[in-house]
Amino acid sequence: MKVRLLLFFAMLSTLALAQRRITGTVNDVQGSPLLGASVFEKGNTSNGTITDINGAFEINVPAKTKTLIVSYTGFTTLEVDVPAGSLPMLIALQESSLVLDELLVIGYGSTSKRNLTDNVVKLGTKDISNIAVSNFQSTISGKAAGVRINQTNGKVDGGINIRIRGTSSISAGSEPLYVLDGMPVINVNESNNGAPMNPLLSLSPSEIESIDILKDASSAAIYGARGANGVVLITTKKGKAGNTNVSLNISTGVSSPTHLVEWLNASEYKELFTEAAINSFGEEDGKAEAEGAFDFLSNGTDWQNGAVDTDWNKIAFRDGSQSDIDLSVSGGDLKTQYYFGGALNKTKGILVGNDLKRMSARMNVKHQLNSKVSAGMNLGISKTIIDRVDNDNSFTSPLQSIAQSPLSPAYNDDGSPNANTLYANFLLEDLYASYTTNLRRITGKIFAEYNFTEKFKFNSDLGYDMSDQTEDQYRGTQTPFMSTNGYAYNSSAKSENYIWSNYFTYKNDISDNNNFTVVAGQEFNNSDRLFNSVTGTQFPSDNFTTISSAAEITAGKGDNSRYNFLSYFGRATLNLRDKYFVKASIRRDGSSRFGSNQRYGIFPAVSLGWLVSEESFLKDNSTISFLKIRGSYGQLGNSEIGNFASRTLYNGVSYNKISGIVLTQPGNNDLTWEKSRQLDLGIEFGILKDRLSGEIDFYKKDTDGLLFKVPLPGSSGQTVFNKNIGTLESKGIEIVLNSKNLSSGYTRWSTSVNLANNNNKITSLPNNNADIIVGENINQVGQAVSSFYLVEFAGADPANGDALYYKDGLGSETTNDYSEANRFIAGNPQPTWIAGLTNEVSYKGIALTFTFVGEWGASIYNGGGVYQSSNADFFDNQDKEQLNRWQKAGDITNVPQARLYGQNGTAQSTRYLQKADFIRLRNIMLSYDLPQSITNKIKLGSARLYISGVNLLTFTSYTGYDPEARADASGYGFDNGWNFYSAPQAKTTSVGLNVNF
Amino acid sequence: MKTRNLSLYIALLMFCSCESRLDVEPTLSISDEVALKSPENVKKLLIGTYEINGDAYSYGGYLQIFSDLLGYDNYVSWNGTFSEPREALTKNMFSNNSLIQEIWNNLFKVVSQSNLVLDHLDVFADDAERSVVEGEARFLRAMNYFDLVRMFGTEVNGVPIRQTAVTDFGGILEIKRNSTAEVYAFIQDDIAKAISLLPEENGEFADKYAALALQARVNLYLGKYAEARDAANAVIEQGGNVLSPSFADAFNLDVDGAEDIFMMQVTSQSGENQLIQMYASEENGGRGGDISINQEFLDIFDDDNDERKHFYYENPAANLLSSKYTNQFGNVPIFRLAEMLLIRAETNIRLNTFIGSAPLDDVNALRQRSNAAPLPTVTLEDVLWERQRELAFEGFAIYDLKRTQSSVQGLPYNSPKLVLPIPRSEMDANPLMEQNEGY
Repeated sequence: MKVRLLLFFAMLSTLALAQRRITGTVNDVQGSPLLGASVFEKGNTSNGTITDINGAFEINVPAKTKTLIVSYTGFTTLEVDVPAGSLPMLIALQESSLVLDELLVIGYGSTSKRNLTDNVVKLGTKDISNIAVSNFQSTISGKAAGVRINQTNGKVDGGINIRIRGTSSISAGSEPLYVLDGMPVINVNESNNGAPMNPLLSLSPSEIESIDILKDASSAAIYGARGANGVVLITTKKGKAGNTNVSLNISTGVSSPTHLVEWLNASEYKELFTEAAINSFGEEDGKAEAEGAFDFLSNGTDWQNGAVDTDWNKIAFRDGSQSDIDLSVSGGDLKTQYYFGGALNKTKGILVGNDLKRMSARMNVKHQLNSKVSAGMNLGISKTIIDRVDNDNSFTSPLQSIAQSPLSPAYNDDGSPNANTLYANFLLEDLYASYTTNLRRITGKIFAEYNFTEKFKFNSDLGYDMSDQTEDQYRGTQTPFMSTNGYAYNSSAKSENYIWSNYFTYKNDISDNNNFTVVAGQEFNNSDRLFNSVTGTQFPSDNFTTISSAAEITAGKGDNSRYNFLSYFGRATLNLRDKYFVKASIRRDGSSRFGSNQRYGIFPAVSLGWLVSEESFLKDNSTISFLKIRGSYGQLGNSEIGNFASRTLYNGVSYNKISGIVLTQPGNNDLTWEKSRQLDLGIEFGILKDRLSGEIDFYKKDTDGLLFKVPLPGSSGQTVFNKNIGTLESKGIEIVLNSKNLSSGYTRWSTSVNLANNNNKITSLPNNNADIIVGENINQVGQAVSSFYLVEFAGADPANGDALYYKDGLGSETTNDYSEANRFIAGNPQPTWIAGLTNEVSYKGIALTFTFVGEWGASIYNGGGVYQSSNADFFDNQDKEQLNRWQKAGDITNVPQARLYGQNGTAQSTRYLQKADFIRLRNIMLSYDLPQSITNKIKLGSARLYISGVNLLTFTSYTGYDPEARADASGYGFDNGWNFYSAPQAKTTSVGLNVNF
Repeated sequence: MKTRNLSLYIALLMFCSCESRLDVEPTLSISDEVALKSPENVKKLLIGTYEINGDAYSYGGYLQIFSDLLGYDNYVSWNGTFSEPREALTKNMFSNNSLIQEIWNNLFKVVSQSNLVLDHLDVFADDAERSVVEGEARFLRAMNYFDLVRMFGTEVNGVPIRQTAVTDFGGILEIKRNSTAEVYAFIQDDIAKAISLLPEENGEFADKYAALALQARVNLYLGKYAEARDAANAVIEQGGNVLSPSFADAFNLDVDGAEDIFMMQVTSQSGENQLIQMYASEENGGRGGDISINQEFLDIFDDDNDERKHFYYENPAANLLSSKYTNQFGNVPIFRLAEMLLIRAETNIRLNTFIGSAPLDDVNALRQRSNAAPLPTVTLEDVLWERQRELAFEGFAIYDLKRTQSSVQGLPYNSPKLVLPIPRSEMDANPLMEQNEGY
């Protein structure tokens, strides 16, 4: 009661006291007005205003008020004394140095970079926007140290692989947890054509305000059992108090493959294959064999005289394009802020038949009901329509057409696709079949905050995420391998996720520079998935393409599954004298994914920070402007092993339309999450007033209880067994350097470099550290995860052209008998070094920004090599290198003698393994901001014209299509470093216009 | 102050107590306790065993394909892109051949699930029901072990015998190879028991005559001609099968035909027919003719009127494709009466007996059906040629070659090149496994 009375008297006295009106303008140091800066009376946060488009403000304060607080995002908050006179105030805000005061989202709260004791990277709109890629993940490639972002290959819908600080798991998921505006979102691949798709394609990069990446254990531990691979926090755009801002962005561009492999032309093909046939069958029979094949391949054209010379690269690829339009309206006042946005993306892929169209809309509204309660809602909806092509391991995937002979015409004289090719002509599939994926997505959240006192508040967030993906395939009667008068497949995968988080925050400023914050809460997450599919054959004609017209329904599936998480979490941060920072957090997670006796896990973390530059001995140092030392240690979990991995499962099957059951998965009641413990030691510094600043981190991550599909001997009756086995150590260094090279007058030049090293090493495996070998990859103690394990190829025997292999590894005795050669560790599918380099140069309104990315240490195994680079083993077209085949005694070459059907050198070996080091100009943008004098005249807030490019330059010695292309077919892929007829990335150049009203 | 307390109370209420929600059961699958505890489910497990048995990598086709590619020299060409089957045709196989790995794994998978059935026969209260289930499981296990041992075994070194199902896959799974003799003893025992347990008639599932047919085939391969002859004779005389009216009628059947003793069932909704994939044109559901017939095969026919000689069609590349496999969803024949007649004929000649029928009559019955001139007399060699004509592309080539000690592509019948390698995956995961010579 006392408090209330006091408040009442305070209000009375306020009324009674004289008010005075203060006016002024807020500018940046260059004198440009700042729109939307907040101006508050010090000590009374309920009395404030914001600046208008001219930076002007007006505020009434009690006469006794001495100080105003002026703040603006990205600028240092200023306390200014109220002048005695009535002259308007002129306030200049300084851009905050080192972005030290920028707000970082850390999960159930935020903090500033200055006070941070963890390793978190923040990327803002300038890193994300105006880059011509259709998924948001690719925009930030190369911009965060130790974060590797790759699109599997150059299909518009290609899966995205993000590895934060390398791979910390072997067979559980390695993707980070994505959290959108505070709620973990569905990131499950629902593609049914064998090639994974990026489920977050549904999110337009234009909706995103910032992305915070939690890299170390201490930051990610608040996400407990799901944080082991790091956490990507996405914050969508919000309205800011101030005038209404309308922003329009239009861009359009063209794209092409980054690189093409050259294949034999018709005359080279004839020469090589005739020679190969003669080598295998003798002069006469060989010629006959080769010519018989050429007769067939040429499909009646005059191959003897070179009538046809098809370049299948030109048939498989085309010029792609990308267009974006996005429009948003945002603004608000001190009570209500809103953001409405809509975006349209149309991408025509570089592969024939691969297109994407996305429409998305977002509305974020927040309202302050009174001094205690605020509430709001975020809602994003989108629809993405993708025309898909087959997975890399399908004959009808466009890029498999490079296996076709150059003697084969792609089209008949009448323009229809030629059906008589060596392999099915994908053009038939392109023309007579379709595979369309529709992805509908709603991500919504309602939230409320109740402030019991200024120090104590309660947040309740209820999020809902719905992903509805349907796939419709129709294959007409003219498609390859068609024997059932048409074929249709429809599927529907619906996933719904709801999350309810409730948490209290208590923040106490003990004194001016001592404070502590405590967060405690609970979260419940329920995720349901419903899947249905139906397959039909026997259609009346190609005019009927829906399942209802199918005379025979040949397959149907219906399945639902669910997982739940129940979690409790707490975090306490302590700031002593703005110099010493301590943070501790704990989370207890329970998940339905694990056996009943292994259901709960506790994930604690602690971190410390010391802001050395605030100590008296450094405070006035002219060289060192900022210095912080921090360290963290914590435990995380990885629960990405599927919903029922621990159970013994028998599935229903059908034999002659009679039902049966089959043991599909042997159970393991002791299965639980992988636990990883991570230590991070970091130093952050700024030199010469932060002209040069940076961060150096060392980390070490130990994962134990690796979730593993242990290969079993087939003689046991099963081939894999889910088990928590083995330990993995992953360590590395991350270095970030930011330099303001030049900042004089209108000219600015800054450089940002990040460099990260990651070495992972398996430290123990089950069955007394027995090797686990899967295909060409091995998991062996002391070696990196999924290292390549291959026989070393030794080139051609100069005496007879036989393929030679090293018996016991590189440099040992050679043999032409493959079975005598032993396998050795031959490479690592993951890079050990990754780097990014960003430069920003500007002069007046002209700015040039570009980012290079680089990767070193990874190798790629070309699974198609046995067909493409086989010295004419079979009639697949060969790469030009095969022309260097051994021909006569004494020839020194790596290409053995051409022998048709001879399997001379086609066994799996390092012949098909290559280093995939590269440096790539990931993106570049040249922009011009129209001067204010012009924009004012045409009544625009601002206008910018830009040209931007993606992947325009690549420096590599890799000779395949692209060092960033991996196979997307199941069983191959990203983590084992396979390439299999995988499309190169797109290289895009676009122009755009960005205006604000 | 009260409102604050109330709000706090409401806020605390929002913390739900929902630990029971972490109990989530799968809906697609059932657990051990359910699957192995009722007679209904153990019977379903047996049907599931047939399903695995019909897998493409097994009796759905690859077993037959590997046998023929390995046994043929120039009867067929391999036109497909897959290098794995081509390795069999060129007799140059690698231990990492993924098809060989799948064949091995699938054969053992059937052994394992048959064992699971045999280990849980106690659930049956009804003895008759139990006998049939046991008989079928033993038949399937014997059939799979027979192919394991003749494909992967040498004259002395067999394959590991698993008499019971593995239940703890987290335990020790290392296992040694048994001797070939031990494996055959195990097979013979299973077959004998299956014959005594199985009924005369069992629909599309294995019956007594399927087990007898297997007994005939196994004993022929082992050179136990009297046993082979008697089993074949029992099938012919009591099995109730008759030859289909024409040769063409014996193939591409949606349901078991007159001469089919046992087939793997394929429908448009279940089962796999890999023979179609490899032998048929795209129009017929195949890959366009990965395996095509050469003139050398046509040359083995002694009568141009022989229907079997012309039992092919051309694909767009003008390759000759066998007409034995043109129905995409046709059943896969495993035991045909024709084989039994040929076994009886051969063993009667070898033993100089006339059990059941004269060898000449058995051989001519097949020739006449295909419109080939009957032979005046018949020798052992004639029967062996007749086997090639009648049973081509049905998976007999390498075994007939081995048991008659013939050579192929200059390789003697006992060349290590004609024995499949133990798959590398097995070698890698099973330290006790011993690799075959030459791999």
